[in-house]
Amino acid sequence: MNNKNDLPESNRRDFLRNASLATMMAMMGGVELRADDAAKSAPAPDAGLTKIPPAPPINVGVIGLGGWGREILTQFGKINTDPTRAKKDSAPVVAVCDIYHAAVRKAIKDTPNAQPYEDYTKLLADPKVQAVIIATPTGTHKEITLAALAAGKHVYCEVPLATTIDDAKEIAKAARGLVKLIFQPGLQQRSHPQIEFLLPFIRSGALGKYVMVRGQWHVNDSWYQAAPTPEREAALNWRLHNATSTGLLGEEGIHQIDTVSHFLRGRPASVTGFSSTIRNYTDNRDVPDTVQAVFEFPHGVNFFHDLTLCSSFQDKHEVYLGDEAAMMMRDFKAWLFKEAGAHEGGWEVYARHDRFYKETGIALVAGASKQTTLAGTAESFNPYDHVPLYYALDAFADRAGRLTDEVSKRAEMYSDEESSSLAAYLKTVSALNSKPAANWQDGLDATVMAIIANQAAVKKQKITFEKEWFEL
Amino acid sequence: MRFLPCPAAVLAVCLASVLQAGAQTRYSAQPAGTSVKIDGTSSMHDWQMEGSTIGGYIEFGPGVSLDKTQTTPVGMQGDKVAAKVRAIIPVSTIHSKADHLPGTMDDLMQQTMKADDFRTIEFTLTEMTFKGPHAAGQPFEFDTKGELVIAGKTNKVNFPVSIEPLDGGKIKVIGTAPVKMTDFGVTPPAPNFGLGMMKCGDAVTIKFDWTLKAKEKK
Repeated sequence: MNNKNDLPESNRRDFLRNASLATMMAMMGGVELRADDAAKSAPAPDAGLTKIPPAPPINVGVIGLGGWGREILTQFGKINTDPTRAKKDSAPVVAVCDIYHAAVRKAIKDTPNAQPYEDYTKLLADPKVQAVIIATPTGTHKEITLAALAAGKHVYCEVPLATTIDDAKEIAKAARGLVKLIFQPGLQQRSHPQIEFLLPFIRSGALGKYVMVRGQWHVNDSWYQAAPTPEREAALNWRLHNATSTGLLGEEGIHQIDTVSHFLRGRPASVTGFSSTIRNYTDNRDVPDTVQAVFEFPHGVNFFHDLTLCSSFQDKHEVYLGDEAAMMMRDFKAWLFKEAGAHEGGWEVYARHDRFYKETGIALVAGASKQTTLAGTAESFNPYDHVPLYYALDAFADRAGRLTDEVSKRAEMYSDEESSSLAAYLKTVSALNSKPAANWQDGLDATVMAIIANQAAVKKQKITFEKEWFEL
Repeated sequence: MRFLPCPAAVLAVCLASVLQAGAQTRYSAQPAGTSVKIDGTSSMHDWQMEGSTIGGYIEFGPGVSLDKTQTTPVGMQGDKVAAKVRAIIPVSTIHSKADHLPGTMDDLMQQTMKADDFRTIEFTLTEMTFKGPHAAGQPFEFDTKGELVIAGKTNKVNFPVSIEPLDGGKIKVIGTAPVKMTDFGVTPPAPNFGLGMMKCGDAVTIKFDWTLKAKEKK
């Protein structure tokens, strides 16, 4: 099947050879001991070149003010008031929109400076809005995304991008050739510092040969949302029906599917699904409340993925099993569990160790001091300040602000510059990508995998992925 | 056979001539084919910084054109050429050519130029005078007067330029502008690189080689 690359992309020997002790220490814990030491010494020659100035502010509009839309507003509130940021109000929310009046009214209470809209086309016509977040039901993403891009707005679109592969491809086609605009799919894990930190480690083959990956998303929640009118109830509960929803695997599992595919650096050859509805519901839903999927990734590595609304046991996590070590990611923390006799690195002495029943996990964390790393329990240990959505929205605002500024400055310099020349110039501006984020291809890939996995689960069958589903 | 011109064709030719005579020609800066060099002195050795970006435009007034087969520009009023010029050089695009610590030199230059607050060097033309006839095929020579803004301070300047018409509707403008840093409120830097104090000279020379392309404006 269609592999992006063989894996692992480099071997552990290369990784160890190429990584300095400082880098290893920085990656594996005890980092601040060295960072503190470094801070006391003179700055390195030419260190000033690495300075990246704060991104210019970008005005944001949020379309879709359901539960997730309100969470987006909350995170923008944090982004705009974070005292550690160089500039406050870097991404002011200047407009909000929902077709439901009460949702708009509620949102305006939290964002009183935002212009309220109940028609997204009017929000898109607002010249003050430079970038939009689309957090509407999955089936409406295509129409709004295409209109937003045509209106010259940067777009952050929640995932899955669409409920069908054809619609996802239309979005991807519109996003592929963009020069002056950002399109970012809502694959929020891609922007989380823990993922960025672990990526070179896990791709280096540090776990030995991959054996398998397990992932679970367990909650005890009906997914049903009450509403004052039958019409509003129907609109609000779009996730409960196969006609409008991509099910648990699509609407929730897509983030874990994307992370696994990102780490394994490949697309699966096939997916086999299972599904059942364990509980009795009176809301006429036809989306199963419990699903399992087995993805066949390259080199015989299978990803076992299960999701349920009926049990919260062990919450949400992923485990990557290798023949020398396993890595567990949970609550955006990660631990390494080594096989007996596996090579021991010097960094492990400085790292935090946590007991999980009979196993000892070595914490993998960046940016925490030794003291911080060693303090508290495994549950209370929290090396990151924010949820993944914060980092993803922050990356989007940062990239959109920088790109808008660069394009504007460039137009001032070269009033009739051709698009290809501008695109070539923008590729040289490294600050545009100073914060990691998913691109249109990542969004298409994850959407295809999620849609097909959901179909396999609903039909309880195996589906082989076609190469052309991922290509434009 | 005697040819009788069609009235419509005559009208079209006349109209085209009028439009041509009344048209302004705007040349827009091109991303390729441009260089900027800033030469300076110091108590230790001469120094040089370089860039390849000048943005902006040159807009010649109605009827003015530069034809390389002619010895003088067409459409002058006396020896004056009606033109608007705006040239912009982002400070961040100018880099040191030093073998030793070029990045540090860049930082020093940007601090000296207050680049965080004033990110561009800008020139606006106020007068353009043709120096005199020359051999056809050679660049046209002009004296220019204008306002130069460096580190947020504006001064009147004058310096000669040559303009060479190129193929494809392009022109190349070459010039040298001597300036004193202190005239623009910039204190010549005196960095200490561990080899003793180095003091930069006040006078610098900005040499440029600017390529633009025509876009007719009605």
